[in-house]
Amino acid sequence: MQTLLFGSIAVMTALAFSPSAMPQTVQPKSTSQSSTVPLRLDPHDLSGVWQLAPGGGGQGPGDNFPPLTPWGQARYDANKPGYGPKAAPGGNDPILKCDPIGFPRILFQIWPFEIIQIPGRVLMFFEGQHTIREIWMDGRKLPADPEPTWYGYSVGKWDGDTLVVETIGFNDKTWLGAQGQPHSDQMRTVERYRRVDPTTIQLNLTIVDPKTYTKAWEAEPRLIKPRPGVEILESFCVASEEEEFARRIRQPAAQQTGK
Amino acid sequence: MKNGTIKSLAIVLSLIFLCTPATAHHGNSAYDEQARVSIKGVVTEFVWTNPHCQIYLDVKDKNGKAVNWGVETNSPAILTRAGWTSRSVKPGDEVTIIMCPAKNGAPVAYAGSGDPGTKVIFSSGRELDFQDKTTK
Repeated sequence: MQTLLFGSIAVMTALAFSPSAMPQTVQPKSTSQSSTVPLRLDPHDLSGVWQLAPGGGGQGPGDNFPPLTPWGQARYDANKPGYGPKAAPGGNDPILKCDPIGFPRILFQIWPFEIIQIPGRVLMFFEGQHTIREIWMDGRKLPADPEPTWYGYSVGKWDGDTLVVETIGFNDKTWLGAQGQPHSDQMRTVERYRRVDPTTIQLNLTIVDPKTYTKAWEAEPRLIKPRPGVEILESFCVASEEEEFARRIRQPAAQQTGK
Repeated sequence: MKNGTIKSLAIVLSLIFLCTPATAHHGNSAYDEQARVSIKGVVTEFVWTNPHCQIYLDVKDKNGKAVNWGVETNSPAILTRAGWTSRSVKPGDEVTIIMCPAKNGAPVAYAGSGDPGTKVIFSSGRELDFQDKTTK
């Protein structure tokens, strides 16, 4: 109980002093300083509300994936996305049924997310499906044989000024992006986050999944920009409401006309 | 629903825009995102639900018969940042909606942040669009 109490106090203290949901721009110490003066910035502080900038790859790691294995090709052929070279009305994107968006696809969503840094962990709080992702920063190793989950098991560490996050333990039910790129439960990902200037984090994502792709996939680097003043709003995918929406709008829109 | 449905309804303008990529979370390939079509009618329902809000309105066709259109738009969170509330559109409101129609001619459409130029215009002349009003 005592441990729990102290843990709670530590979390609340960290949150109270976190600059989350506040402007990310680092102000010069004195107003007399010009904007050309190097800004004081803690490169290990990524806390705040951010959003992926539009870029190559769209709502996913891109279409430039390595050659597929036969298993991966069969999965890709079965996926009918709403984006990319295979885009068609209707389709079978798992998120149309409110399945969890999963990782790494959630990184490429159009909604803001908050990075919360607390002792021993970095939390990523995504507006999309109101999802919390935990990255363990306490030095622990990846588990040897984790049970499959939608977001995997993540550990992180600082390599200089780059936050390096490794994740394993995925199920194979999600797509990597809106273009329908598949993955297996053998997938391992490495993310590298580096604050390249006061208002930009660069993300480099590597996907290693030998069951699906014949070599490692280095996704196109993406930039993440601050959203000062933006709050993370409640944005669940509600299956009952989604079903009704599909019945009234999505299905009529996707119906073949026999042209 | 026949392919000619859209033409038979009260279309007052149709413009070609250069579009930015759609930002619906699942893709908008069912809609003609190069087109902007205007429909005018009376709101029957405004559905404020995740992940897609919807506006339904009765639009009279050339014979004066009311056809109920359904317009897909963004999530409540995105609409909130665009200045909307769940009471922004009410049954009985006379509105004009500039939207991207379904390619198959069904009386359904998309109007939202992914397609600039789409908006709702009230009979008073007041307009609501879908673009983020928070500082970026």
